[in-house]
Amino acid sequence: MAETTANPKISTRNVNVYYGEKKAIDNVSIDVDMDNVTAFIGPSGCGKSTFLRSLNRMNDTIVGARVEGNILLDGQDIYASSMDVVQLRARVGMVFQKPNPFPKSIYDNVAYGPRIHGLAAGKAELDQIVESALTRAGLWGEVKDRLGDSGTALSGGQQQRLCIARAIAVDPEVILMDEPCSALDPIATARIEELIHDLRGKYAIIIVTHNMQQAARVSQRTAFFHLGNLIEFGETSEIFTNPREDRTKDYITGRYG
Amino acid sequence: MTGTALLFLVLGLGLVAWIVGRARAATFVRAAKGGPRGQVNSLPSYHGWFVAVCAVVPAVLFMFIWQSISPALVTNMVLSAPAASDLPQDGFSRAAILSEARAIAQGLQTTAFQAQSEKLAPLYKDALSYYSWIGMAGTLVLLFAGGAFAFTRLKPDFRARNKVERLVMVGLLFASLIAIITTLGIFASLIFESYQFFSMVSPFEFLFGTDWNPKSVVTAGADNGYGAIPLFWGTIFIGAIIAMLVAIPLGLMSAIFLTQYASSNVRKWMKPILEILAGVPTVVYGYFAALTVAPTVRDFAVMLGVSNAASDNALAAGIVMGVMIIPLVSSMSDDSIAAVPNAMRDGSLAMGATKSETIKQVLLPAALPGVVGGVLLAVSRAIGETMIVVMAAGYTANLTANPFDTITTVTVQIVALLTGDQDFGSPHTLAAFALGLALFVTTFFLNYVALRVVKRYREAYE
Repeated sequence: MAETTANPKISTRNVNVYYGEKKAIDNVSIDVDMDNVTAFIGPSGCGKSTFLRSLNRMNDTIVGARVEGNILLDGQDIYASSMDVVQLRARVGMVFQKPNPFPKSIYDNVAYGPRIHGLAAGKAELDQIVESALTRAGLWGEVKDRLGDSGTALSGGQQQRLCIARAIAVDPEVILMDEPCSALDPIATARIEELIHDLRGKYAIIIVTHNMQQAARVSQRTAFFHLGNLIEFGETSEIFTNPREDRTKDYITGRYG
Repeated sequence: MTGTALLFLVLGLGLVAWIVGRARAATFVRAAKGGPRGQVNSLPSYHGWFVAVCAVVPAVLFMFIWQSISPALVTNMVLSAPAASDLPQDGFSRAAILSEARAIAQGLQTTAFQAQSEKLAPLYKDALSYYSWIGMAGTLVLLFAGGAFAFTRLKPDFRARNKVERLVMVGLLFASLIAIITTLGIFASLIFESYQFFSMVSPFEFLFGTDWNPKSVVTAGADNGYGAIPLFWGTIFIGAIIAMLVAIPLGLMSAIFLTQYASSNVRKWMKPILEILAGVPTVVYGYFAALTVAPTVRDFAVMLGVSNAASDNALAAGIVMGVMIIPLVSSMSDDSIAAVPNAMRDGSLAMGATKSETIKQVLLPAALPGVVGGVLLAVSRAIGETMIVVMAAGYTANLTANPFDTITTVTVQIVALLTGDQDFGSPHTLAAFALGLALFVTTFFLNYVALRVVKRYREAYE
């Protein structure tokens, strides 16, 4: 039932993810392209975050986690032994559930990635990267006069936008967002959603959420997961108005979850 | 009757009081049987405890107070007798006669060396037995009064349970105050003796003088060899410089390995072993330093061409002290690295940073305050450490930065000043108190700062 796209950025084929003996993801095949925001929805524990974290190999940090099947980024298998994990994560950035700025200045938070990857030739270029990343993350106007302040001193919503700026600063191709608004108030959430709209098309964006309204607002394509299985994947408008599967319909209408 | 026998008698009567109180309450329980619930507030044993404590505690307190004041009362009584009027006025021989008379009266000594004490002995005997009877009577009166008072208060609705609860609280409070009071007492005695020392030797000489060669007879205004700078320097050189050069890198690296690289199995057996190392007696480290490390270091120095390398060199003591401190630094750093939220580490890894980049750029800066706190505690532990330096470092005060030279520390000199025949009032002995005070103030300050730093850091992440 894999929904195929003409020019996929990421395509997964028959992916299984295990935690030790337990199978957390069962045979998932999905294509993600550059032009659309893809949302993963589903009840807690359905494996959507696990699947997201296997797309930039963050599951490698969990003892006992194992991935089977193929995950291709631009046709390259990211679990192949020739794949450099460090380079992969520079190409596939990630924003976490809770804002996690480093206990450094705002400037150093954004400059962190460019510095470790050697993206800037000098101070002037680095300044420019920082400014453009903060601008694209919609934070520049609020922080341009206090770049030296600690990143942890910002409000929750600002911190999350700082984390997005931090991810953007290394110029990734894909941005994975793992429930980026679950720790934020509605106003901060609205700002992040606006930001996702603005970023669409520049990066392939995948957002995990268990807020269905949010999925409907920000995404063009939606994948519904349940108990480790991909139940349904398609146009967001289709999924929300005319789901093919009963389980999808039951979840969307609030029957469970 | 001796004090011990009296104490046992009091405790025995306390047991009786407990039984009586309990039995009395048991009659309330029997009477209330079948009636509404809660007529008898407390279980019988609470009543028993209440009566027993009311009987025993005042009696025992009185016994101890009496023990400490009665010798003075006895002596006063003897001195007021006519037979004591021809005692010599000179305090020293007077005290000798009195203590001999007392010894004879107590049966510790049979023959008198001084005629007068033989004459005073019967007087002493009378006075001793007189006051011991008063003490015994007072104790027993208090015991019965306390017990009777408590017994009359027993009623079915008496809240013995709540009273006992309060008594438990008072007991616990008392236990926790003992450590604090003792520390304050030690501090007060340090200050008092140091004050006496500084009335003989100028504080200026002590704190800023560079010549440590203490004379037993001091003259005001002259150089008496009490310049403690070489000792302070030796302490800092061994404890805060050499030991930390060993302990900080090794401790920190082992903490990083344990928290970030070791598998949970390795961590499970390595961490306890490191913690056990912290419990090795320092005297064991001491002879390891003196017998193994020091000769090796000296041979190494000779190989390097340092001709005046001493066998009791600063480097050996410092290295072993550093090894001793590793578990402390490691476990404090381990705690503070583990306290950095995983989200921080994941954030860095997700940016494409390697593990060691993440540790260097994110984890260590975030854990730094905790690590600094641990290091300060380690320094405070190292400069107060005695056994290793007594065994491995020297006794010669030496103002040098040559690690192969012999050097001494504050703790070593305190030991040196207090061993041997010394009058308590001599400047040697008092100087040990002044050194102790300096050490106490330094470690107190270090501990205070370290705990503040660690606490503030904990608050930031919890």
